[in-house]
Amino acid sequence: MNFETPDFLPVVPELFVLGMACLILVVDLFLSDRSRVVTYLMSQATLVGALVVTLGLSSPIAQVTMNGTFVLDPMATLLKSVVYIASFVAFLYAKDYLRARSLFKGEFFLLGLFAVLGMMVLISAHSMLTVYLGLELMSLSLYAMVALQRNSATASEAAMKYFILGAMASAMLLYGMSMLYGATGTLDLGELGARVQGAGPSSLVLVFGLVFLIVGIAFKLGAVPFHMWVPDVYHGAPTAVTLFVSSAPKLAAFAMLMRLLVDGLPGLHGHWQDMLILLAVLSVALGNVLAIAQANIKRLLAYSGISHVGFLLMGVLAGTPEGYAAGMYYAIAYVIMTLGGFGMVILMSRAGFEADRLEDYKGLNERSPWFALMMLILMFSMAGVPPFLGFWAKLAVLEAVVSIDLIWVAVVAVVFSVIGAFYYLRVVKYMYFDKPEDEHSLVAGSDLRFLLSANGLAVLGLGIFPGSLLALCASAIG
Amino acid sequence: MVALSDYLTVGAILFGLSMAGIFVNRKNVIILLMCIELMLLAVNINFIAFSYYLSDTAGQIFVFFILTVAAAEAAIGLAILVVLFRNRGTINVDELGTLKG
Amino acid sequence: MAFEQIVFYAFSAVLVFSAGVVITVRNPVHAALFLVLCFFSTAGLWLLLRAEFLAIALVLVYVGAVMVLFLFVVMMLDINIAVVRQGFARYLAVGGVVAILLIAVMAMVVGGDYFGLERTPVPEPIGEVSNTRLLGLQLYTDYVYPFEIASVILLVAIIAAIALTLRRRPDSRYQEPGRQVEVRRGDRVRLVSMKSEERR
Repeated sequence: MNFETPDFLPVVPELFVLGMACLILVVDLFLSDRSRVVTYLMSQATLVGALVVTLGLSSPIAQVTMNGTFVLDPMATLLKSVVYIASFVAFLYAKDYLRARSLFKGEFFLLGLFAVLGMMVLISAHSMLTVYLGLELMSLSLYAMVALQRNSATASEAAMKYFILGAMASAMLLYGMSMLYGATGTLDLGELGARVQGAGPSSLVLVFGLVFLIVGIAFKLGAVPFHMWVPDVYHGAPTAVTLFVSSAPKLAAFAMLMRLLVDGLPGLHGHWQDMLILLAVLSVALGNVLAIAQANIKRLLAYSGISHVGFLLMGVLAGTPEGYAAGMYYAIAYVIMTLGGFGMVILMSRAGFEADRLEDYKGLNERSPWFALMMLILMFSMAGVPPFLGFWAKLAVLEAVVSIDLIWVAVVAVVFSVIGAFYYLRVVKYMYFDKPEDEHSLVAGSDLRFLLSANGLAVLGLGIFPGSLLALCASAIG
Repeated sequence: MVALSDYLTVGAILFGLSMAGIFVNRKNVIILLMCIELMLLAVNINFIAFSYYLSDTAGQIFVFFILTVAAAEAAIGLAILVVLFRNRGTINVDELGTLKG
Repeated sequence: MAFEQIVFYAFSAVLVFSAGVVITVRNPVHAALFLVLCFFSTAGLWLLLRAEFLAIALVLVYVGAVMVLFLFVVMMLDINIAVVRQGFARYLAVGGVVAILLIAVMAMVVGGDYFGLERTPVPEPIGEVSNTRLLGLQLYTDYVYPFEIASVILLVAIIAAIALTLRRRPDSRYQEPGRQVEVRRGDRVRLVSMKSEERR
């Protein structure tokens, strides 16, 4: 048996994060609760270091290594970089929240780092095996993070639901993978794409496998009709965990969609396009309609997230490079907005008070005009009001859908996002036109205030100058 | 001779049964965990059957990893179950009414 | 009917039967034990498919470790079966329909048309090659990257399980082996000289 040592250079970011996570695990063991901030700082340093390494290794051509299980291409570089930044922001927002609830433990940051590692593996996957392993590494860490608040009944209940449905989705995904393997005899995604093109008689088997694959992906993305877990998990988990679960993993799920369908099964585009249209239309419709009835801001953001997933799918289903770039742009825009949205919930909360009811936002303008303005920007951006970031993201995916003559899909999406604007505006109305019920001043630390302001201003700035991020996405798709 | 389709049919029956088990036992979390193990078992049968009939070891390698991950998954699932039981004193999903979908 | 077929149908019948019992039986302990039977019969099927290493691993890892963990948890948590079983009959009808539909569709696809003997014949035996050696050679070379990820997943499982369930209760008593070993006779035994009492 002849074996060549693979090229380890493209895998250095993964090795770096793994090495640092193991180091933090050991260091954390010897820290007292008072010096726990060292764990936090090391985790943040890991993310910054990983960003530097990843950008340093970026190259315009795709490099496949590790016997075809790993790929480093511009898409991987961009998505990984956003994952690091999103996790960095999420950890920073989480710090004070966790400390106020005596959850400020090393496990949170460690499991977070391992989840980041899982996302990296998933984003760089070039084989069904690494897709599965990356997905599981990410998901298992997230299940545990949701349950980390051990004395909270709602958190453990949310974790159980998340776990059962997530494990079921993984099993469905695996069944689909087994069918694809059986029909083509390969696990390598590039090879799979080539063999699917040539497959004639067994194409029913391929479509059969594809159905299971799509169900699994839809579960992980939280697309209707496989969305049941999203509101419960977002609501039940501590806000700091919700923030993390709702941000970076969406990018990884987007990457999974791209790797499996676009890299692995381009030959079945006609089939998966129909399925994604169904998922996208249902998600946009149901997500927006159900969000209206919510009185809890975490559930509201969950349903709004479901509708955003519908938009993201619209970009991918177009099947054109512009469509993929638009989907990626939407995913990144969504992550920036959701970080801000849940960041606001964390800003408003304090020990013993979660600030998760919509009523808690009444009169925010009188208590803090600056953060009311930030929330206003975020809400308008999520609703898709120009000139904020969310508007350009919606415009990009709608253009992609219209360019392949699926005008009815675009019309449905526009109609339901107009309906959806109602509940975002209700939050704005509460902030500006109602009297405050709660006269406490905001207790957040200066680092949180600064980053949250930067987050809100980024939504505004990227909306006024939309070209750069979109161009970045387009160049990453190539 | 036993054909590949025979093994796949066994896998399909097992997968269907465990799917039905999830519907039937939606109140009992511990049986739900067992149903998930059954689903993974069905997938593993598929992979190994394909691996043998295609004369390709990749399928067996995949099963090796599924077994590893499933063991880790079971450990985390049971840990969450224990935490839930300590908080609630029950694993009956219906009594877990605080979160309404 | 060839011997191989008899073995196949015997194991398959046991597997399907015990899977059916797992999802319908009243007592979770019985369900766990029937799941063990499922794993044993599956291991038998895998031996027919020449996957000896995985068959043994299934028995060792699943029956030996995972199912023992399940049984531990079932017995540790005092589950009220009567409550858990409410509404079972109502769901059974739905579940039955789901199972029949799903299995019918799946069997149509994976049935003889695509994977029959004429399309995928039984491969020629590849001679005296150890299955374990074959897997091992690939696992530590071509698949070293997935192998490392799998080890990280196990590490995460350890961290998560400890973080979620370990608790130090102030009222529970611990042994300290260090102090037990260090103990001297003088710490425990005190010789008291007493006068012997008078005999009455």
